[in-house]
Amino acid sequence: MGKVIVVTSGKGGVGKTTSTANLGTALALLGKTVAVVDADVGLRNLDIVMGLESRIVYTSMDVIEKQCELSKALVRDRRVDGLMLLAASQKNNKDDIQPEQMKAICDKLRTTHDFVLVDSPAGIERGFSNASAGADEAIVVTTPDVSAIRDADRIIGLLQNARIEPINLVLNRFSPQLVGNGSMMDQADVLDILNIELIGVVPEDSGVITSTNRGIPLVYEDGSPGAQAYMRIARRLTGQRIPIHNFEQKGILNNILNWFTRKR
Amino acid sequence: MANSTVALRAYGDGLHLIIRPHLSISEVEAAIEQEITRMNRSLAGASVQIDLKSPTLKEEEIELLSSKLQQTYDLTVRGVEVADEPVSPPIAAAPTTHVISPTTDTRTSRDSEPSRIVAHTIRSGQTEEFPQGSLIIYGDVNSGSEVKAGGDIVVLGALRGSAYAGMNGRLSAVIIAMDLAPLKLQIGNYVNRLSVSQESRGYPEIARIGAEDVIIVEKFVKF
Repeated sequence: MGKVIVVTSGKGGVGKTTSTANLGTALALLGKTVAVVDADVGLRNLDIVMGLESRIVYTSMDVIEKQCELSKALVRDRRVDGLMLLAASQKNNKDDIQPEQMKAICDKLRTTHDFVLVDSPAGIERGFSNASAGADEAIVVTTPDVSAIRDADRIIGLLQNARIEPINLVLNRFSPQLVGNGSMMDQADVLDILNIELIGVVPEDSGVITSTNRGIPLVYEDGSPGAQAYMRIARRLTGQRIPIHNFEQKGILNNILNWFTRKR
Repeated sequence: MANSTVALRAYGDGLHLIIRPHLSISEVEAAIEQEITRMNRSLAGASVQIDLKSPTLKEEEIELLSSKLQQTYDLTVRGVEVADEPVSPPIAAAPTTHVISPTTDTRTSRDSEPSRIVAHTIRSGQTEEFPQGSLIIYGDVNSGSEVKAGGDIVVLGALRGSAYAGMNGRLSAVIIAMDLAPLKLQIGNYVNRLSVSQESRGYPEIARIGAEDVIIVEKFVKF
């Protein structure tokens, strides 16, 4: 019986889809069977980030309307074993799906996969309740800025009300340089406000944009700091205990420089 | 990040302008302008005490600053104090000229009120209400959330959202937080007229209705 994990954030543009694609791929690279589900009906993107848009025949809407079997709607990623995508319908909207229908799909997928990652749309309305309906656990993605953190805080409250546990935090687009000169919140500040378990920090990485445009998740090229961060998070999801990488400590010289340039 | 250079605060004896150490006069002036603009409210005619933390500005710089405050903002400097902590009078000594009208103050004692304990953080968008009495929160009250109590509100954590105390009309109600950095404070019908600094102070603070019907905020020492 696999785990269903919803990847959500409240605010848009903080990296939910990128995180879903990379974590799904990373888990598959670790030998797990994974289904990634796009719950952003009407504004689907996960297929593009994963480079599978040209191979979609059926969507979750077709499964719900009984136009096809669930197994037929799953698109197999040929680059790695055990990775499947269930795309969202682009011509419908979020109100066309009921939370119970999404839950039924997730429950079916968990019988055949170790991990089911559901990519939630931004917002706290129907799209979010659909995406979280079948989830056991949640990953909340946030960037270290106040607006994203307030929205993450809101989403965490809603997830707790829905008794979804544990809720793990991914701190995305983290820039040690900006933290160093005092213009970005550091890890401790973010955790102080959100007060949930941190499962990983993903540094700002320009490689994300090119990888999204090319449809090749970052983790296929494991050299970049972003890819390594996602691999570490995937390992933690499989139960391995790996310490959180501290991007802030960059040697004694930097610390001294930071000390001088920091706004007090 | 919050403006941590200067802070305008209302204490029991009026306005205080708190200036951090190791600053040049031009930095201080720029920060004052920013702080006053941020408050979005005229301070004309008010008097202010300057609290400096040593090592501090030179004497002639302070004089220059005082005349500038007078000319630009019509703010009279009533005194200058050099200390490690902002000076605030003890709570008991604070003036109680506020007239409590018997019709609004239905309860006069916090002893007669029930209280409720909330043992978790209150997150953005959530509301915690207890009209019957006081609320004690073991956790934070995050930005975008609300706590409302008939009596006092005590937050054993950071108060970053909105707090409404004394909703049953008891105007002696107080709001206490380990880190008082709220979006909005209200006690009875009194809304905080001076923006409470959003920065963390590093010590607990108490908000209550003081002289001149203003919500005042000061370091919390004891009841």
